[in-house]
Amino acid sequence: MLGFGGGKGIIPQMHRDAVVTYQWVTSDQFAQFYTIGKLVPGPTTVFAALIGYSAMPGRPWLGALAATLGMFVPSSVIMVVVDAFWARFQASPWRAIISHGLAPAIVGLVWASVWTISRGTPAGPIPYAVTAIVAVLMLRTRLSAPLLIAASGAVGIIALR
Amino acid sequence: MSAEGASATTAEPSLFAIALTFASISSTAFGGGQKASIRHQVVAKGWMDDDVFMDGLELAQVLPGPNILNLAIYCGQRVRGVAGAIAAFLGASVPPFAIVLVAGALYFKYASNPYVHGALRGCAVGALGLTLGNALELSWDERDDWVKIVLLIATAIVVAAFKMPLLLVMVLFGGAGIVREYLRSRAKEVPR
Repeated sequence: MLGFGGGKGIIPQMHRDAVVTYQWVTSDQFAQFYTIGKLVPGPTTVFAALIGYSAMPGRPWLGALAATLGMFVPSSVIMVVVDAFWARFQASPWRAIISHGLAPAIVGLVWASVWTISRGTPAGPIPYAVTAIVAVLMLRTRLSAPLLIAASGAVGIIALR
Repeated sequence: MSAEGASATTAEPSLFAIALTFASISSTAFGGGQKASIRHQVVAKGWMDDDVFMDGLELAQVLPGPNILNLAIYCGQRVRGVAGAIAAFLGASVPPFAIVLVAGALYFKYASNPYVHGALRGCAVGALGLTLGNALELSWDERDDWVKIVLLIATAIVVAAFKMPLLLVMVLFGGAGIVREYLRSRAKEVPR
């Protein structure tokens, strides 16, 4: 949980640690926290704060802070350090090889995230249809993410109570 | 350590200005819009030119951590070194942290209300749709190489079904992808 991980790719690992191993939150809560992370501005993974909040019932604010620092600080330190070296490889072909070479694993992780989040969302024809429609609208239109989530929420009030 | 980067820019912004710039972006911009906002702001302010920014974007996406946060740190570091990176980190992380806590407090207070519960379940379905769209979009970029498609599917399966730890996934499948990319780049050079 408090290790480092890459943006979207870390979702399955967070689920594994927070839901399966430590049982700080349920799969439903995890999916809803993730949703809150998508709804608020800034990086989605800031929802780690809510897992930390739930993980430490005695001192929830401390849990929230610890989870967020654990989420953001290690990767940030790596960024600062690597940036210092990266400039030297300006013309090196290795830069493209590494960034293109890692892509399949990262995209695979995003698919695993889809599966992970779906463990905590309602099943049935209406949720599946909404999921598919949102995916298509995201790819084919310029509608913003919070707007699409809010519209899905409106469907939820009517159909998923 | 980024003296070259700093001297290339005309005006050296204060640390407060760096933190404020990223705070204003991180508290108002969502999803992919944040990258565009950062690009617009740092170029318009003369902190760096577009090529330097695009270089940072590539790096931010390769390394672990949220792309937006990495990108903010990169920009801060280029204009004011490590102190600038810290200022950018604070600006890019503190407002979202505060906002998510407020949202979380509301969640814990009202989640049991049936209407709120329905809305949250609906929102989660929407968020799932966004993630699905993202996965489809990213997969489309990999379509030209069957080895990468196999790697992609294999990664998804071992993580989703067998819960393979992230670090091992990146070493095995990330490593295999790098080897594949390396062999392809060599194959391309041969005809020359």
